Amino acid sequence: MKEDLMEIICCPLDKHDLNLEVTERDDGEILSGELTCTECSETFPIEDGIPNLLPPDMRDEAPA
Amino acid sequence: MGDGEDRPSLADQRGVESVYQPAEDSDLLARTARERVEAGDTVLDVGTGSGYVAATLADAGARRAVGVDVSPLACREAADNGVPVVRGDLVEPFQRDAFDIVTFNPPYLPTPSEQEWDDWMEHALSGGDDGRRLVDPFLETVERVLAPGGEGLMLVSSLTDPDAVRAYASEQGLASEQLASEKHPYEALVVLRFYRV
Repeated sequence: MKEDLMEIICCPLDKHDLNLEVTERDDGEILSGELTCTECSETFPIEDGIPNLLPPDMRDEAPA
Repeated sequence: MGDGEDRPSLADQRGVESVYQPAEDSDLLARTARERVEAGDTVLDVGTGSGYVAATLADAGARRAVGVDVSPLACREAADNGVPVVRGDLVEPFQRDAFDIVTFNPPYLPTPSEQEWDDWMEHALSGGDDGRRLVDPFLETVERVLAPGGEGLMLVSSLTDPDAVRAYASEQGLASEQLASEKHPYEALVVLRFYRV
């Protein structure tokens, strides 16, 4: 993901802002890292450049 | 329009893949939305699948066209197609007032529950018993992320009962109009526009 995506995403649970922690960056593209809600402290992974902002209870679900 | 018994299975109607590929419905939605996008708009495509609608709107001049999908396979494919994508549930991971246009080509085919949930493709096609499994939650939540003057554009089928969809939108405080309609085998495809009253 590009960093400017931070302007429009939020915590899916309480809609507060997210903090970005970058683990791996390549040419302006954030490849891995973590997003943390500034309010509820829930964490959301960025993997292979894609932020996973599913609520934790939907994260590991098979299709349904 | 029959009662459904003589319709082919969902997979037969749409081809077998694990990520929904652009078909007549995505194309009608993309063509309709393309006419409405203005330079500088920020756009969200919900259930973006391959990212086709988002990519079309980026090409039409949107400043930013983002996709969201619950399927990890769809997210990967949209990203590989150059679409900024978020894995998420409908509009839940997006900020208030963020978008000028939100497009959605939902799973809209009414599907008996015994036929459901084999895989991600079935998830992308099945709209549940009434075809509105994700249509209704979208209408309940989209208003929060619309910028002032923003609009939601959703594709539904005649099989999904567009009048009932519009009535439900009205209960959520959204006005609506029909922007486009196209006849196809088994169904008519309709693009509805939703906006704040």
